[in-house]
Amino acid sequence: MTEHVESLERRIGGLRTAVREAVLAGDRERAAALRRDLRQAEQDWEDALTQAEAATPQEAPPVQAVRSGAAQPTVGPAPRPGSEAREPAPLLPLREHVHQALSLLTVPAAPRLIATVHEAFFAGTFATARLTSLKRDEERSFRSAPFARPYYICAALTADLLAPARGLLAISTWPMERRVIGSLSLRVDFLTAAIRVVEAIERLPGPVPATRRLLWRFAASIPGAAAAAAQLDPFAVRQAAAAELDVHQATDQHVRQAAAQRARAQLDDAQQLFGTRTQLAPQIDRRRGS
Amino acid sequence: MTGPEARLARLRGRSLPRSHNARTIAALASNPGCARRAILDAAGADKQRLAAYAGFPAPFGQSRFALARGNAFEAQVKAEGAAQLLTLLRTHLNLPIPEAHYDDLGEVGGNASLDLRHARTRTLLARAAASQDEAGTMFDHPLLRLEVGGRHAFLEPDLVAFRLHGRFHVIEIKSFAVIDGQADGDKVAAAAIQSAVYVLALRDALAEQHIPPEAVSHETILVCPENFSNRPVAVSLDVRKQLTVLRRQLSRMARIADLLDLLPPDLTFDLDPDRDGVPRRRPAELAAAIRQVEARYAPECLSTCEMCFFCRDEARGCTAALGRDAREELGGVEHVQTVLRLAGRIDRPAPGTDLAEAAALLRQAARLRAEALREAV
Repeated sequence: MTEHVESLERRIGGLRTAVREAVLAGDRERAAALRRDLRQAEQDWEDALTQAEAATPQEAPPVQAVRSGAAQPTVGPAPRPGSEAREPAPLLPLREHVHQALSLLTVPAAPRLIATVHEAFFAGTFATARLTSLKRDEERSFRSAPFARPYYICAALTADLLAPARGLLAISTWPMERRVIGSLSLRVDFLTAAIRVVEAIERLPGPVPATRRLLWRFAASIPGAAAAAAQLDPFAVRQAAAAELDVHQATDQHVRQAAAQRARAQLDDAQQLFGTRTQLAPQIDRRRGS
Repeated sequence: MTGPEARLARLRGRSLPRSHNARTIAALASNPGCARRAILDAAGADKQRLAAYAGFPAPFGQSRFALARGNAFEAQVKAEGAAQLLTLLRTHLNLPIPEAHYDDLGEVGGNASLDLRHARTRTLLARAAASQDEAGTMFDHPLLRLEVGGRHAFLEPDLVAFRLHGRFHVIEIKSFAVIDGQADGDKVAAAAIQSAVYVLALRDALAEQHIPPEAVSHETILVCPENFSNRPVAVSLDVRKQLTVLRRQLSRMARIADLLDLLPPDLTFDLDPDRDGVPRRRPAELAAAIRQVEARYAPECLSTCEMCFFCRDEARGCTAALGRDAREELGGVEHVQTVLRLAGRIDRPAPGTDLAEAAALLRQAARLRAEALREAV
């Protein structure tokens, strides 16, 4: 328990420094994201202390003293430790939204697709521009306190150089095979995502126009899936996607497994999640040097 | 430094050389007879700056909105591993289903350096050309290099050089609409010549790896929005003619020395900048220097060349400024003033000459005009 609290304190310290730097640099968006992280960390710290207090009641007075001294940047009454009436956050953090959408798709996806899927199935929209800073924030958070969160929104890695693939987001808990991208992987992932979207639509109690629009977006680019938007049949889309998937899957799997093995053997934890930019293409550097 | 190189460096003066891109190379080919453009481009002079300083700033460059529209359409076509593009290629060109590879060459391992990207492009293209099985289908933003007037220009095909039945095809994504099977002729022509530049660069890149030029098809593919929707449609463009023009123009640039010989040896377009980069040369003097190089102005220049307003002002009074068609209609006479004198019977050329024939036609036209006006009144 003490280690956990101490690591949180280190993290809070680190985040405060980062917030200060972001504010001074005028990067409002990053500052806001970091402030959210900071509030979350402070909340975790409060929770950890509450648990400690429950375990050792004689330490209660100092804890209260610390609480009243902490300047919380929250509006309204501060939540009391241990009380049931803690107010829920008005909205889920952005990372939760992204996690929901990616969990539905089960494959790395671009911000635009993530936003569309979220809008179709989870009835909430967000600007894709906000996703660009998300990965950076997640990386910073991971580096300051590795594995402190249950999951991270991380990068997909290119199969050849194990560098972050442009414009793709993934979840850190996925196996490495799913997060590396070979030359066929984008197509395979597209077809897999189409099948997952069909499955999600079948779970819905009734037809939702937004989900059909999303499905048409997939079906239009799968041979034999649908002739026109009006004749869209989820079952046929799934069949067509599965048929094409059969053609590509074995080749793609082969490339991905080899790349994943390489990634696990060569990269450290942070690099496995966010890719590497340093040890790239030594053969090209040599050529340039000559 | 060799002779022509030194001359060109002197012409350019102290500014940094501007490098070519597909647009400028294409523009070269659209008016091959213009020595001014050939010299300024070969010297790598900043035409935009020269024209502005000489008092004729060109409202040039793409509009922000056109750029945004173009980028949005390109992003849409290329989203999710170029899913929409792949469908188009499958329907229009019978691309086999297993050929669905997509390689992003816009970045090498998170690094967007031009040299790295060029090296990687060459490696991947050579690998794709050498192997018989599917070693790549679509290459997003490959970076090619073309030698223009002794210097290398980096070129980035709008999209992809892709491999179909063992041959590479250049694909150009444009955001102008193809409505009912018809598109704006000028825009298609511009796209065709740009594609031809890429074909040439791609052939050059493969030639370095000892791959014959036939490996790159002269049929390029143009992807545009269809009708009034955002749905893409693909059309084939045969760019053989553009390739010939380009080759001739590029070889002409290589023989720039002949053009340079016609110019006074002390000619320069240097702006004589002081330490802060503020030009000290008098604009009129610069304009006089530019006028020493012969131009061939045509109205088409307005959409391709930064010097267009300068040349148009200079060409005032010439029939060429009215366009090629108008010039032909006026019997190929060079100056508007001469045309009027011939039509008004002030000048009477000796019978039997070309000019006499033109004069007869012009007089006839003048008579008809006078009659028509009299009737109207």
